[in-house]
Amino acid sequence: MAEYCGLDPENPPRIEGYLQHGWNVADGLGYGTPYVPGRPIFVWSEQTRRRAWSMGRKHSCVTGAPFLYLLRSQSTVPTGRREGTIWYPFHGWEGQHVHGSHQRLIDEIRATEPGPITFCLYWHEFRDDKTRARYEKAGRVITHGYRGLRWQDTETRFLHNQLAELRKHERVASNRLSSAVMYGAAAGCAPAVYGDPMRLAGEETRIAERIRREWPQLHGPNPDQAAATEVALAELGAEDLASPAELRAILGWRVPS
Amino acid sequence: MSDVKMIGGEMPDWSDRGPDGRPPAGGAVLAEILRRMAPAGGRILVAGPHDDVLLDALGSRTEVVCLVRSEADALRLAQRGVTVLCGTLAKVAETDRYNLIIALDGLDRLCSVEGPQLDWAEAVQVLRRALLPGGSLLLSVENELGVHRLVDRSAPTSAHGLGDWRPVGEFDETKPGNPARLAATLSADGLAVSWLAAGWPVPSAPTLLATPQALQDGPVDALSAAAAGAAGTAYAGVPVLSDPRRLAAAAVRGGLGAEFAASWIVLAHRAPRPALDFAPPPVLLGDGPVVELIHDQDGGWVRRLVSGTATPGRDAARLNGPLPTGRLLEELLLAACLRHDLRAARQLLSGWAVWAGTLEARSRAFATFDNVLLDGESYALLDPSRIGAQPSPVEALRRFAETLLGGGYAHPWASATDVDSLTAVLAGAAGVEYRGGESNAIPSMNSLREQEEELRTLRERLADATTRTAWFEAELAGRDAELRRARMQIKAFSGKLGYRVAKLGAVSARKARNALRRARR
Repeated sequence: MAEYCGLDPENPPRIEGYLQHGWNVADGLGYGTPYVPGRPIFVWSEQTRRRAWSMGRKHSCVTGAPFLYLLRSQSTVPTGRREGTIWYPFHGWEGQHVHGSHQRLIDEIRATEPGPITFCLYWHEFRDDKTRARYEKAGRVITHGYRGLRWQDTETRFLHNQLAELRKHERVASNRLSSAVMYGAAAGCAPAVYGDPMRLAGEETRIAERIRREWPQLHGPNPDQAAATEVALAELGAEDLASPAELRAILGWRVPS
Repeated sequence: MSDVKMIGGEMPDWSDRGPDGRPPAGGAVLAEILRRMAPAGGRILVAGPHDDVLLDALGSRTEVVCLVRSEADALRLAQRGVTVLCGTLAKVAETDRYNLIIALDGLDRLCSVEGPQLDWAEAVQVLRRALLPGGSLLLSVENELGVHRLVDRSAPTSAHGLGDWRPVGEFDETKPGNPARLAATLSADGLAVSWLAAGWPVPSAPTLLATPQALQDGPVDALSAAAAGAAGTAYAGVPVLSDPRRLAAAAVRGGLGAEFAASWIVLAHRAPRPALDFAPPPVLLGDGPVVELIHDQDGGWVRRLVSGTATPGRDAARLNGPLPTGRLLEELLLAACLRHDLRAARQLLSGWAVWAGTLEARSRAFATFDNVLLDGESYALLDPSRIGAQPSPVEALRRFAETLLGGGYAHPWASATDVDSLTAVLAGAAGVEYRGGESNAIPSMNSLREQEEELRTLRERLADATTRTAWFEAELAGRDAELRRARMQIKAFSGKLGYRVAKLGAVSARKARNALRRARR
């Protein structure tokens, strides 16, 4: 975003507030984020802002997803041919444990996908040799990088890596609707959501069911690409992207004199 | 010097022109009405305090008699060369009759402290009896539910000033409460209404006069913008209950322009003789230059300058021509902000910035959002006559930022909580360069409702800041502990090997000694 704003991407200024990190059906903040009252939350879409307001987050401000700003900054699409599917098995995050059979999921993916498959694993699954080996039998296995902890060891090129990979593939898919599927749709892949949703330990099914009800256009092995992309772009806040000057002012950044 | 005729009930130590009292009826728009209707010949009674500009408008073609209750005011008028009746309304002789009676100050300052205190209907009857058959009465009636009353911080029924010896307010039940009842009441008294117009924004000096028909079927958007602008000018810096601009605009836009006007100006004649030959335009507008709005042959509305050609700071001739159509940009922007419609707000702002750049330099400073109409894609200055040199378009953005924050409006840029940062955001959205100002204050409105909103916002911010401080303190304590541990580790692993071994040994020995002591206790 700093790059889009004309500032040094290697030393981005601090944002005085919270930036929505991933797509969710709550207030835009990740689960358990220690929210400090009064600070703005920069969310992706107006729908998320309304939801956040109803949850007591009165300082939400719609900026659109950072990924879309990256797309704008890197608008030149590589000329190489797109091929196969990039598949994001639902991972949860470090503290969560997935229930479900990776192997059954892999079998279903192989039966569905027409071309070569790239599996993109979350970093802790990628580091787990057993899990990685299982996926490696079915296709290429990658990760976009380590998320970092408290601003340490964060892979700052995570989204860049992701965009580059997405642009190599024809399809993007996952067993759960997620940021990655939406990013893929925005980057020109045909999105799909199918397969065992691999529930988290102790997770209710209510939210997952709600997601399927709310965004049916993105679910199934072969959803209509135009309709699915439209929905994905709306969730990413494509209509609400700010100009570099406005975004700078919204985030409280100044151009160095 | 003409004579002052004392008719009885006069007030020797009183003036209705004191600095604390209500100003007498006046203004360029009422003057224009009088200029048009003064009959050549005949007698005119001007009842109650009227500004000199109105008396001037009557010209010298007719015999003008003024009725005032104050002796000081009577002497002042006499020096102008007019005949003056000084005293209370009830003492006006029935034998003294007029072709035209003008009572644009209303009827509540016609009775002095002496003698009977006539209510509204009784006062009308006295004036009617003073009319010649076919004579006309031009009367201003204050609307007790007008926007000017709704925003008034003081109650009209409280006796504040020395003139309020009988503050009846809305409790004078004989006074009609809407234009239809006004016409019906006058008609029942034998006075046929030939013209009626609603006056905005204050009864004493309306700058917008429009007939109920024009307010209903005319250029409603432009009239709504004009009413809001008129209210904004009249109430600049005046303490109010709530922003009168919004009430005025909403009333006119909602088809209630006549019902919520500050006053009604009505012309009625004593039936059954024919009325005065007087054809006022459907709308008169003017806070300096006065224009009339008339329907042209194509059904559009056209502005024609009728007076005030030499108003300073204005190029009045620019007012001639078609009336621009469309909604006030400020209201469109406020609506987009309230809906959190970023796309619409950005389109409005960037469209405005591009258009404002095409204006000639001396007009550009007046392309503020409260003076711009937008119809589809087409922007136009509501009042193109204002000219002057103020270079930056940022000023308009800053004013809108002040309106948003000072008015307590919801808007989509929650991170911008002061005028400067919000102006920067608006400038970014408009594509206008902004280098930043110095003010980071929240503008304070002189309006109780907005102040209440401001107070609520400040309380919330204070509560948030308190919680934040506690959070930071806890965070700081955690970081301090982390730093202490890190320092200890650095200390433990620094220095030469022999020194580190000795130090480790000393630390272990101290720990062992302490443990032993604890065990002995």
